[in-house]
Amino acid sequence: METITHAAIRQSGRYSRLKIEGLSMELLRGLYRGMVRLRRCEEALMVQYRVADEIRCPVHFTIGQEAVPAALGLLLRKDDFLYSHHRCHGYFLAKDAPMGALFAELFGRTTGANGGLAGSQEISMPSHNFFSGAILSGALSLAAGSAFAFQYKGDDRVALAGFGEAATEEGIFWEALSYASVRKLPLVYICENNLYSMYSAQVNRQPADDLSKRVQAFGVRTFTLFGNDPVAAYEALREAIEYARKGGGPCFLEFYTYRINAHVGPESDDYINYRPADEIEFWKSNDPIALFEERLDHAGLLGRSERELIVAEIDEEIDEAFQFARNSPMPADVDLEALSRSCESPFAERHLPLSSVGDFDETQPVAVLAPY
Amino acid sequence: MRTLTYAQAVNEALAQALELSEDVVVLGQLVDTSGVFGTTKGLVEKFGKKRVQDFPVSENLMTSAGMGAALAGMRPVLVHHRLDFMVYAMDPIVNWLSLWRLKSNGQSRLPVTIRTVVGKGWGQGPQHSKSLHGWFAHLPGVNVAVPATAHDAKGLLLESIFGETPTIILENRSLFSMEEVVPENPYRIPFGQAAIRRRGQHVTVAALGIMVPIALRVAKQLAEESIEVEVLDLRTVSPLDRDTVLKSVAKTKRLVVADPAWRSVSVAAEVIAFVSEKLGRDLASNPTRVCFPDSHTPMSAPLEASFYPDDAAMLSAIRSVL
Ligand SMILES: Cc1ncc(C[n+]2csc(CCOP(=O)(O)OP(=O)(O)O)c2C)c(N)n1
Ligand SMILES: [Mg+2]
Repeated sequence: METITHAAIRQSGRYSRLKIEGLSMELLRGLYRGMVRLRRCEEALMVQYRVADEIRCPVHFTIGQEAVPAALGLLLRKDDFLYSHHRCHGYFLAKDAPMGALFAELFGRTTGANGGLAGSQEISMPSHNFFSGAILSGALSLAAGSAFAFQYKGDDRVALAGFGEAATEEGIFWEALSYASVRKLPLVYICENNLYSMYSAQVNRQPADDLSKRVQAFGVRTFTLFGNDPVAAYEALREAIEYARKGGGPCFLEFYTYRINAHVGPESDDYINYRPADEIEFWKSNDPIALFEERLDHAGLLGRSERELIVAEIDEEIDEAFQFARNSPMPADVDLEALSRSCESPFAERHLPLSSVGDFDETQPVAVLAPY
Repeated sequence: MRTLTYAQAVNEALAQALELSEDVVVLGQLVDTSGVFGTTKGLVEKFGKKRVQDFPVSENLMTSAGMGAALAGMRPVLVHHRLDFMVYAMDPIVNWLSLWRLKSNGQSRLPVTIRTVVGKGWGQGPQHSKSLHGWFAHLPGVNVAVPATAHDAKGLLLESIFGETPTIILENRSLFSMEEVVPENPYRIPFGQAAIRRRGQHVTVAALGIMVPIALRVAKQLAEESIEVEVLDLRTVSPLDRDTVLKSVAKTKRLVVADPAWRSVSVAAEVIAFVSEKLGRDLASNPTRVCFPDSHTPMSAPLEASFYPDDAAMLSAIRSVL
């Protein structure tokens, strides 16, 4: 198998292996729609971010990285669990969580997925089995626990986590891999290797950029792919999810991709000069949507007017999501202390009687410790 | 009436919890083989390796995994042989478990129980003896219990396992052989209810964990001098039963707080703070603390013996407020 790394991808020039032959129209449309929906959504949020200062939380946009979440969205079951990190909008939408709940959350409204208490980088939607958090690598380790629960209960559910390559620099990533491997957990890790952790390149932080090799040493099945090819992403994800679902054990998918926008916020951060201009240009010329459209045009499928219809439909959904957010109330009088801790124990109340104080005899000696 | 040791009471609570619900699973290093000082002894024989599972030496992951399992409907009990080991799990505790209920706008429930043993004596040294209940109590969103008796160890553990809030239970190793009458049926003790272990009108001793037996012994001794000490066992430090403490101090007007932890920025400090806020002007004397020095635990036996407050330290603290 040829090795795929960031360097190898650069060397082989513009990507030319996207294959759509033999795929159903439904799949092509689904992949296209998923990518464009995420792109339009992010672009619209970027435009609106500063206009009336209505989005007051850090947002990590994901322009250029649409292929993987779009493919994933076509493969997940409602009862699968999906965890994500700070750059989570693609995963939120992939789990079929409503766009309105996302926008309202960014706007800090009561109708947000978390009533405006979490914001973009920590948004969750328990009703959709979607969970994210901004502390790197925490969420991927939670996914291991959910996978454990699925296996314990004998369910054929899968737990997945999407994260960036920097998340693998935390020790807990390797703890989780090792555990998932030894227990053969139904766990799928999706690593979007976009080369950077904020403004730091991967090679400054890691001994090599082929993470998959290191992961293989843990006995975990790996897939290494060019990450802007939605068809390849779809096929690899399908295989990995099926493998995990059938009890084969955990999988790790590494998708080489690139974030076009700034690390955080709507404005460019390229004034920092942390990445070479030709590198940005290279990845712009490998835009996943443009690559896909080119193939579609070449094959004469999903023509311009059909695509325009899809875009119009998406734009309407985006408009409605903004309206929903703007028309929703801001939270007020939330009892934060009460919300922080559940004082109810319905299960305990049903099953256990109360007992107040025992009858402790104060004359007893304490235990004397023995060798460990 | 049947008595059990503290360790047996914990063991019985775990067995009954495993019996009560398939969602309960006990995870921890050696829970299937070492018996964790008797607290998990025999469980694997009865419930099998699926319900009582050894876990790799990955305390950080075990805690996150427990949370991920709880999100998927389970009620995991995570066991640590020493609290010092679970400091590796501060990220899942602080950044995930404690804030998740708020962050999910009350939608998620996280019945994760963390049982941790605190070492004391026989040269445990600074890395096997820490009691960080004050740290954990500082966090919103987690329950923290420090049971002093076998009866409470069982009831608080069952309450935690079948509650909906992440809970940390600190069990001091030196209490494990202490016996008490323990009801055979499973039962619960709610968090946030202190126990009045001895009634008295002259001085209140609010004690926690291993300080409770000391306070009771000293109270008995002082009763011979007609000094009646009211001994409160706080039992849980988050939530903290402020009402019971305030009622007692309103009556005695004198307060000693006995907290088995470092003195500064401690649960003891919090108790004195809230009593002062409500009753500061009514106090007949300055309140005082019986705590560990602001130092890590020394290994060498004589130093270790003087590190931990004993009956004499308790006695002199009580006399100082009379
Ligand atoms: C534990 C932790 N350390 C540091 C950070 C700060 N931080 C936020 S995003 C980020 C970059 C993460 O890079 P990567 O995981 O590759 O994801 P990407 O942003 O590239 O999508 C960092 C370091 C954090 N959120 N959590
Ligand atoms: Mg990255």
